[in-house]
Amino acid sequence: MNNLLNILFINTDQHTWDAISAYGNPYLNTPNIDRLHQNGTSFKKSYCTDPVCAASRSSWATGLYTSETGVPFNGGQLHPEIQDIGQLLSSNGYRTFHCGKWHVPGRNVHESFQVLYYGNRNIGAGGAAYYDSASTHAVADFLTNYDEKEPFYLQIGFVDPHDVCEYLHNHEEKHIPNPIEQGILTEDDLPPLPINFNYDERETILHRVCRRVDNALIHAPILKAVRKWDEFQWRYLRWNYYRFIEKVDAEIGRVLSLLKQTPFCNNTVIIFSADHGEASGSHQMFQKFALYEESVRVPFIISCLGEGVRIKKDRLDNENFVSGVDLFPTICDFAGVDIPATCQGKSLRPLAEGNATPWRDYAYIESNYWGRSIVTDDYKYITEYKPKENEDFLPPGPDSEQLGFAQLFDRHNDPYETVNLVDSPEHQEIITAFRDKLIEHESRLIRQEIVHQNPKRTIRNWGNRLREYWKHGK
Amino acid sequence: MMNKSKTLHWSFDHNYGAQRDDFAQSMINALDEYQSNLSNLRENTRIRKYEKRVYQILPNLWRGYQANNNKLSIGKVITERKYDENNSIWNYRVHYQNTTSGEDLIFEFCCLDKSYLPLHDKWKVDVKNTSSDVYSKLSLSGHLTSEEGIQLTINNTNINAGTIAGAIPLTCNWALLDVMPIISKSKGSLDNKHTIAILEDLEHLRPNCHLGFLDSINYPMRLDGYYLYGNGLLPSYWWIDANDTTVIVSAVFETLVLQELSGDTQ
Repeated sequence: MNNLLNILFINTDQHTWDAISAYGNPYLNTPNIDRLHQNGTSFKKSYCTDPVCAASRSSWATGLYTSETGVPFNGGQLHPEIQDIGQLLSSNGYRTFHCGKWHVPGRNVHESFQVLYYGNRNIGAGGAAYYDSASTHAVADFLTNYDEKEPFYLQIGFVDPHDVCEYLHNHEEKHIPNPIEQGILTEDDLPPLPINFNYDERETILHRVCRRVDNALIHAPILKAVRKWDEFQWRYLRWNYYRFIEKVDAEIGRVLSLLKQTPFCNNTVIIFSADHGEASGSHQMFQKFALYEESVRVPFIISCLGEGVRIKKDRLDNENFVSGVDLFPTICDFAGVDIPATCQGKSLRPLAEGNATPWRDYAYIESNYWGRSIVTDDYKYITEYKPKENEDFLPPGPDSEQLGFAQLFDRHNDPYETVNLVDSPEHQEIITAFRDKLIEHESRLIRQEIVHQNPKRTIRNWGNRLREYWKHGK
Repeated sequence: MMNKSKTLHWSFDHNYGAQRDDFAQSMINALDEYQSNLSNLRENTRIRKYEKRVYQILPNLWRGYQANNNKLSIGKVITERKYDENNSIWNYRVHYQNTTSGEDLIFEFCCLDKSYLPLHDKWKVDVKNTSSDVYSKLSLSGHLTSEEGIQLTINNTNINAGTIAGAIPLTCNWALLDVMPIISKSKGSLDNKHTIAILEDLEHLRPNCHLGFLDSINYPMRLDGYYLYGNGLLPSYWWIDANDTTVIVSAVFETLVLQELSGDTQ
């Protein structure tokens, strides 16, 4: 056996940060993710780069922000010249394997990895009921048979709890009675409404057009359905969401139980994260696509079931802002591979080992091509770029003149983001400082033009709707 | 013959926009075949010593799951059970074929002939992957230990899959196809919740599940419905016909619809 570490990256889909029982959530039971936490370091201030699948996953694969990858929204395509983690590791002595959901448009997963399992119809959004168990079987087969000399990098993409989207789609054109009416559950069985069920109506135009208006750009039929929901329907959504997480937790448990019985247990570092979160009723919203905490904050755990990897165990890092761009350099660091100079992220290995290291004091997040956010310890700043008069398909920024509406939330006094301070006179200097921070950050990005016809069509259509709203308020 | 213009019960009504109206039609076609098939059974008895059923798997949501042959069905489940009179146990063989996942699973297990059909002794699952991936097959077996534990062996590697509380009966989700009719027949139990443990697909222990009566309907046929809820388990709805046969099982993502039934009293 070689001395290099094996690396196992387990990811779930649409898993908001606190939907883990080890972090104190009493409404679900996740003994296996808890086990990862107990055997490693969890990062409390962990943010995805973009709260949708394809965009966020393009950052995982490359260490770049989504306006740099060519996937600044779900319909983008990864730029062909950008190296992904599979290509980099396989050219540096690793055997690289993929299993389950990939969802990085523009990059054929088979060209970057040996694919343990991908199903008959290429796993995209949805379908955990079909795919997750098969992914676990494929990994079980791998772990019980791997006997190569080279170390392995294996990434497992579980689909759940993304199937909560299918739960929502089921409501589009029919009334599903709440389970209390049916006598199936009692009120005590359901989680309460989120504290921030009500929302700030001064949201960005982008968010209103994408998610709030009657003919919203994203999932308007679901929006129409949930407007008729009573309190119990919203609470039942949360109840269901937690069951999807328990299902995927069991799959993760099977992988961990098998790994524990293999010779790789001691020298395999396990990284666990999710591509984005789930609103689950917060801000009267469902799914993701928003820049609120529930949608952008995700679990991030670095763990080892044995003692062969120097990781601080049973520890919650409350200090450091982690981003999806950090996955790529962290994997490189554990693999002993040089981190490419173009990478925007930083290795979390020193932090996981308990070593102090200079670190960023904020997280930067993009959303739906035009949306932006900066999160610091004290405030969360959300804003948007107005669509250009003549769209050039280069993701917007840095351009302070083109910024539209904004929201500012005090993270100490208003952690649930319900009081927008954007019009508060005493916060105007802070807003200016955040705007400057955003522009300064974006001046370091190498943005990729959208070149494919389908994503260009989407951006053109969305841009037209946004311009209409800016001009006519509807 | 059934009237496809009527509305299906919400628990299995997936006949809306995204399904292009194929769902109800596919469901009704399968149930029609089952009913005509039923009339041909040599003995229309409620207790068959051998029984074989074929369920079509219908996807509840269309996107990306349509079969290539332009039929909605994405596979089938063939269940067979045979009664061992000497030992008072039912021997099961369930073949699950899913053309979307590509997985083809054969479950073999046995259950005691008691209410809730408790899982007995040992079992095995043979898995094949028909999609063109590195992973092609997996063998899994399991047994109950004397300490009420569940031991699994996956490709010769042993793992502990949990422990059951002694008072709660443990069964398998595939045996529930026969548990539900037993509950349906027991008078006085309709309003009661039943607590059971389920070894889902003979792999994952769901220790705290509840099932109970949901509704009675007359379309697409006279059916009594039951729900199954539990931690780690997605809600599912089980519908039993007048012949004490589970004909529809619907969960979030897929619906099983009975298409064929055959059996014998011998």
